[in-house]
Amino acid sequence: MRPDSVSVPSRSRRRMARLRDDAIRWITRRHAHDGAAAHLGRDRIYILPTRAGYTLLGIILVMLLGSINYSNNMAFLLTFLLVGIGHNAMWYTHRNLLGLRIATLPVPPVFAGQPLQIPLRLEEAAGRAREALNLRVGPQATKPLAIPAQGSTTATLTLANPGRGIYSLPRQRLDTRYPLGILEVWSWLTLAPEIVVYPAPIDPGDPQGGGGDQSEQGLARREGEAPDQIRPYRPGDPPGRIVWKAYARSGKLHVREAASGQGDRLWLDWEAMPASDPETRLSMLCHQVLAAHNEGRIYGLRLPGQTLEPAQGPAHRAHCLRSLAQFQTEPVELQPQARGA
Amino acid sequence: MTPTFAAAYANPNLRGLELALIALPVAALPHIWHQPIWISVLVALAIAVRAWLLVSGRQAPSLGVMSLLALMAGGLTFVQYGTVFGQEPGTALLLVMIAFKLLETRNRRDIVIALFLGYFVVVTTYFFDQSILIAAYSLLATALLTAALIQVHAERFIARRQLARQAGTMLLHALPFMLILFVVFPRIQGPLWGDPQRDQTAQTGLSGELNPGDIAQLLQDESTALRVEFDTDVPPLRAQYWRALVMTDFDGRRWSVDEGRSTIQPTAVDHDTLVHYTATLEPTRARYLPVLDYPAVLPDDADLRANHQVLRDRRITNRIQYSAAADLTTPPGAGEAELDPEERERALHLPPSAAPRSRAEVALWRATHGDDDRAIIQEALQRFGAEPYRYTLQPPTLQDDTTDQFLFETQAGYCEHYASAFAVLMRAAGIPTRVITGYQGGAWQTRGEYLRLRNADAHAWNEVWLDGEGWVRIDPTAAIAPERIEQGLTGLAQDTGEDIPGFLRDGEGLSWMQRARFGLEDWRDFAQFRWESWVLAFDPERQRELFARLGLDSQDWRSILIALAVGFGSLAVLAIAWVWLRTPRRRLPAAERLLQRLSRRLARHDRTLARHPHEPVHVWSRRVAQARPDLADTLRAFAEVYNRQRFGKLSSNQRADELERLRDLLRDVPRGSPRQAVHTPIHQ
Repeated sequence: MRPDSVSVPSRSRRRMARLRDDAIRWITRRHAHDGAAAHLGRDRIYILPTRAGYTLLGIILVMLLGSINYSNNMAFLLTFLLVGIGHNAMWYTHRNLLGLRIATLPVPPVFAGQPLQIPLRLEEAAGRAREALNLRVGPQATKPLAIPAQGSTTATLTLANPGRGIYSLPRQRLDTRYPLGILEVWSWLTLAPEIVVYPAPIDPGDPQGGGGDQSEQGLARREGEAPDQIRPYRPGDPPGRIVWKAYARSGKLHVREAASGQGDRLWLDWEAMPASDPETRLSMLCHQVLAAHNEGRIYGLRLPGQTLEPAQGPAHRAHCLRSLAQFQTEPVELQPQARGA
Repeated sequence: MTPTFAAAYANPNLRGLELALIALPVAALPHIWHQPIWISVLVALAIAVRAWLLVSGRQAPSLGVMSLLALMAGGLTFVQYGTVFGQEPGTALLLVMIAFKLLETRNRRDIVIALFLGYFVVVTTYFFDQSILIAAYSLLATALLTAALIQVHAERFIARRQLARQAGTMLLHALPFMLILFVVFPRIQGPLWGDPQRDQTAQTGLSGELNPGDIAQLLQDESTALRVEFDTDVPPLRAQYWRALVMTDFDGRRWSVDEGRSTIQPTAVDHDTLVHYTATLEPTRARYLPVLDYPAVLPDDADLRANHQVLRDRRITNRIQYSAAADLTTPPGAGEAELDPEERERALHLPPSAAPRSRAEVALWRATHGDDDRAIIQEALQRFGAEPYRYTLQPPTLQDDTTDQFLFETQAGYCEHYASAFAVLMRAAGIPTRVITGYQGGAWQTRGEYLRLRNADAHAWNEVWLDGEGWVRIDPTAAIAPERIEQGLTGLAQDTGEDIPGFLRDGEGLSWMQRARFGLEDWRDFAQFRWESWVLAFDPERQRELFARLGLDSQDWRSILIALAVGFGSLAVLAIAWVWLRTPRRRLPAAERLLQRLSRRLARHDRTLARHPHEPVHVWSRRVAQARPDLADTLRAFAEVYNRQRFGKLSSNQRADELERLRDLLRDVPRGSPRQAVHTPIHQ
């Protein structure tokens, strides 16, 4: 095909796309930011016939013509009954969405490369069971959802992982064609759950620099520390350090402890990472944070322009990982893509 | 979930197919009686195969195989009918198409298309049958199709009972729409194309000719010809002659109609004594309207021809309803001194060779009675009334000269024989005479207070011209079998014991079973009649009358818009009111309402004083007290009582007292307004 033969339709298509974008921008401006929760009122539910709807309309028109031609009153009755059903379908379909409340749930942070799953909560308070709801972000959709009357359900959107960073969810669309499939009703949502993607951990000791090897050695050996010691369990020790083999033997809980003792502070330093590429350094730091946490150590993190004082525990770990995730980036909107793309 | 259909639910594309496989045969079932047997077998087979494929989790046949089969089926339809257009071939093709659509169903779209076509199948049923039973049945079929459609789109298994309720509710909600559109949608006189009656089978009712034996055929026909409701007093049965056709031309054997072109006005009559009625006529494909003798007021779309026959301006291809009035006593032409000479000649015409023996007989009567026409008429009637003449519905067949053979040889017959023979006798005597066919008798339906005339109630009688009196009705059958006229044909059957078609009514000697059967028959006909007169007979004419009664004009689009707007407007108001009434409203506890009132009242003093939704009441009261020391005591007391109300354990008496205190405290807070910031200290 010659290039100019496609340019004409593509130009009009581009114009159409721009018009569509404008329309969507106008639509989303009306309910700009839902934040943590959205309530679907009448002002934000849209409705249009589907292709099946136009097919039924055609069939009804043919039935009407036949009724007129044969002056068949029973045919008139059935035709008008279908008209009534089709008309009321607007109401039924609309009601399937009306009054729903959709709220964000905390998004479990993931490492780069892992599938990104975003849970959203759908709540029904109007006393009507809801059927066949689809929650979409771009081309991605959840499985069809049903909510019992006065109940709730959790929808999980699975998106392609965009790599390290802090993200927000693009515009979401909740739609349904239930019960007759002749009309589609939808609403745009701008829920903004925070999506945090940590760097993929890379073991700095591994010259290949690949793979999230989270074994508990690396760190200790590189810093030339004495082998671990075993001491009896004290309340508050991290469960990850319990020596289960010893428990199986003796029936008593013991924990493994670094020889240098708990008082030893470990600094995880950006400058010390054996790589020049900032992303690789972050990945290595990520690995170190995980390793230090697993060993129950007290560790601090030094990044250019940012220092996290040594501490320990899950909150500290999350804090460190988050610092790595948002290092020198701004929160951006996810680019939804077809899965596998 | 029915385990059998687990496969259907395992494959989300085929969800609901099992319901489609039930709903579609139900929709198609009434066609069994109107389609060649191979179509029913084909459809049943296709559905059975698809159900088997579904249960065993197999794939639908390949597209190639399907196309071949579909082509073959289309070809068979064509071979059967020679065309694929028209009611029967079109329906056959539709059924075959649905069968194949179901067979090749692979996804939701296929199921949905098949179900949509299912609605179409229900409509095609009405080509063949428009009874109230079919109406009820098609409601069931429509509900099933709708239920299947719901299940297809539900994405999960829905309990059958819930599905049935949902589909039923949908139909119920659609009924008002149906009624409004049915009444208001502009009706036009069809057809838009073709001749819709072309493929309708044999015609029923009276024909434009009277051959020997014609009416005997009709007497076998139990179907309804006409139903009549009287707006005035019901005239006695013997006075009810429903004239349909007026036959003047006689060729020696056959009487025929020539209604001519000219129209006349009904004879001027005294309007106080008219009998007004509304008749519902089954389609006859002819133009005549049966009217009660003698017609005085006619419907707008019909006129009176010169031979006093009432003709509609077009053929009656659908069931119609018309209102008219009759003058029981004034025959047409009453008061006129003489008959139009041309008309007189036609009414006296006899083929020269016809009925020689009868003519000779009449010549003797003339010799006896001279100019006295009445005496001649009496002579003839007396002759019929005496032996050996018999009234029978199974007379010997007549061959040669029908009149002479009947009068002198067989001497047995029913209305048409007597009417024909009487007319020949009168014409031979020089008295202008014609034969009228129509209906006489009928059965009074006590259930619905209407008269039901069946085709079996067809009758033939005569009119003779008497100068000054007009066309006077003479019924020779009344002379031989007066009870035929007094009781109607059905009453007669008991007396003679003959195997006369017709249902016996009000019979004394009937067993309770027979009575029950007639009772049931009464009810069935009543329901059918109401269905027909209220629904099926609604046509452009009825619509015009209905609009006129509302002060609207059915031909004017503005009137139609007004009717639509009023109809749907009131529907919308009702729907909104209904939804509003059914929406549960949570009524807040009394203390909560008082708290909100207090907050609103304070906000009128100063907007920042309003309570934030999350603010505990005692915190809020302290905050307000800081801004308004004058209200501090009131607010502290309010918060205290409020918290006791909401969270404390109180007896109902205490609760009522405390509520009263809250109200008092609220009263202590001045209403204030944003403009006048006058603070009146209440408590110091």
